[in-house]
Amino acid sequence: MAEVAYDSASRIFSGNPPVRAVDQLNLDVADGEFLVLVGPSGSGKSTALRMLAGLEDVDEGAIKIGGKDVTNVPPKGRDIAMVFQSYALYPHMTVADNMGFALKLRGVDKGEIKNKVAEAAKMLDLTKYLDRKPKALSGGQRQRVAMGRAIVREPSVFLMDEPLSNLDAKLRVETRANIAALQQRLGTTTIYVTHDQVEAMTMGHRVAVLKDGLLQQCDTPRNLYDRPANAFVAGFMGSPAMNLKTVPLTSEGAKLDGVVVPLSRAALGGASGESLSEVTFGIRPEALGIVPSSEAGMDMTVELVEELGADALVHGAVRIGDSSERFVVRVDGRTPPTLGQNVKVAVRDTSEIHLFHPETGNRLDG
Amino acid sequence: MRRFLDRHWYAYAMVLPVVVVVAVLVLYPLVQGVYFTFTDVNEATIANPVLDRPATYEFTGLRNYLNVLSGDSSYGAFWSTLVRTLIWTFGCVFFHYTIGLGLALLLNRQVRGRSLYRVALVLPWAVPAFISAFAWKYMFNAQYGIVNQVLRAVGLPDPVWLGQSDWALVAVVVVNVWLGVPFMMVALLGGLQSIPGDLYEAAEVDGATPWQRFRDITLPGLRSVSSTVVLLGVIWTFNMFAIVYLVAGPNPNTRILVTYAFERFFSGASRDYAVASTYGVLILSVLLVFASVYRRALREQGEVW
Ligand SMILES: Nc1ncnc2c1ncn2[C@@H]1O[C@H](COP(=O)(O)OP(=O)(O)OP(=O)(O)O)[C@@H](O)[C@H]1O
Ligand SMILES: [Mg+2]
Repeated sequence: MAEVAYDSASRIFSGNPPVRAVDQLNLDVADGEFLVLVGPSGSGKSTALRMLAGLEDVDEGAIKIGGKDVTNVPPKGRDIAMVFQSYALYPHMTVADNMGFALKLRGVDKGEIKNKVAEAAKMLDLTKYLDRKPKALSGGQRQRVAMGRAIVREPSVFLMDEPLSNLDAKLRVETRANIAALQQRLGTTTIYVTHDQVEAMTMGHRVAVLKDGLLQQCDTPRNLYDRPANAFVAGFMGSPAMNLKTVPLTSEGAKLDGVVVPLSRAALGGASGESLSEVTFGIRPEALGIVPSSEAGMDMTVELVEELGADALVHGAVRIGDSSERFVVRVDGRTPPTLGQNVKVAVRDTSEIHLFHPETGNRLDG
Repeated sequence: MRRFLDRHWYAYAMVLPVVVVVAVLVLYPLVQGVYFTFTDVNEATIANPVLDRPATYEFTGLRNYLNVLSGDSSYGAFWSTLVRTLIWTFGCVFFHYTIGLGLALLLNRQVRGRSLYRVALVLPWAVPAFISAFAWKYMFNAQYGIVNQVLRAVGLPDPVWLGQSDWALVAVVVVNVWLGVPFMMVALLGGLQSIPGDLYEAAEVDGATPWQRFRDITLPGLRSVSSTVVLLGVIWTFNMFAIVYLVAGPNPNTRILVTYAFERFFSGASRDYAVASTYGVLILSVLLVFASVYRRALREQGEVW
């Protein structure tokens, strides 16, 4: 068990120009915490994780595990266990040997290895498969063996790089819950990489969002969702994505297709402090709603209706200024509008409006 | 049966030419050779159309086998030649494999000019065997050869390499190793590159030292390639006539089964085709036994083959 810290750590791949795959990352992970690293493809998540594992050099800054600077310590000396995206199971060893490999290298005696492997296998429901080779297992079973290999070691930190990406959707949801429960039970500090923001939201105690090697925000899933620090995080977290549009700003609020949406004092203050005439206006699909045509709202032409069962997502075009912008509205699944219909859309709750700087993308109300 | 033919005649028609060609090119000579081993055929008794002489050889039963297997030196001292052949074969294959693996490991890293080294190391392969054989023969020359010059320069004894002693066998092994390493290296390099890199990373995280990674990841990962190339290496080396004969000539100290069969066939007072064929059949039998034992051993280790 240990806390983990990235201290302005960077990884720069040589090339022309050099790639700053991870750029001045500062991140503190508490003992026993489940931290999820999330970001789009190529944002440096794997690189950041591998730096912690010691598989990637740290070109600037430092990495600390349990308060000890391990920047130049090889993986062997870091007391970490890693679950690879490909699982990286040793193909010529049985499941039991795979799981006991690290202990065997450490010179733990055979009987004890056997007990620990059996215990982990029981926890992961792998007892039946202990004598099989990885080739003879299904994807989900292999994933569990990879987890088992990490658990048996009783490391101070677990690292997982997209461990669920090779599973089908249903199994992924199931395994997601299992991993979270397991981590809860073992209480081991865990860093988990994923590009799936649903995984990030559901599993992490805290979520760190990366983009182009830069940390965008690190907070609890709730805060990330409710108060994204910038337009990128706002657009990345949440499915379907938040509606983000650049709109003109007046003294009363944001101007959208004739309606002026009143804004909070803090947001307006932030905007006027920068003397902006436009802002990036963000609102999640569920904070919008279709209202009777007698009420005030934006006129929207329905272009696509995605029925999800309980809900339906209505995609449509709204005129803002001289251009037509696409909005997504989440509505009750039983009474969706039809294609081509003209509906009135209004903001249901003005407290759910997010305002960002149109150029820097930073949140305006601090 | 009718229905079977009706349904599959097309497949049989397609396969037939190959069957015929194989039968004519492989089976017929093989059967002919095996038949010779039961006769006393030699230059004097074989049919000779030039002299308009009919065949006069006779069926002699197992006499050739009994003569050869008695180990009599007038029949090539079969058992001691077999032992020498085995020493030669396993010596060569051992060094082929270990040196080839060592070079493959070196080349499998990110070194500058890697492709250049690769080409350089494959070069022995590209040179016709007789040219390298003669080059080596010269290098092993007792007086003028570079090998002995170097040995003298560092104050070591300088044996007569290709004379009537076991040094000749050592020299031939060296040449054959030099020639055979590129093949092993290329094959093993391919094998190394097929081992996923994340296995090494997983092992490193699991706390494996470089030696443990080699033992527990590299060697098992190379197993199927190794088992194939070692088998091929054994068969080729066992039957490696050209290098032995080109470098050492008909030297009894480098005599292996094939070179003796060749000597018996093409030289000597009467070209004894029958004994040469007997050697051929015995070589084939030894290799078949080896291959099946080898296969069984692999299968017991769980290798699908
Ligand atoms: N060995 C390397 N040499 C040069 N550039 C590299 C190397 N490895 C990664 N990169 C670059 O570093 C950046 C971050 O890569 P990384 O693998 O960390 O992304 P990621 O966030 O894990 O993406 P994904 O979700 O697709 O796995 C990418 O732009 C990638 O091209
Ligand atoms: Mg990745």
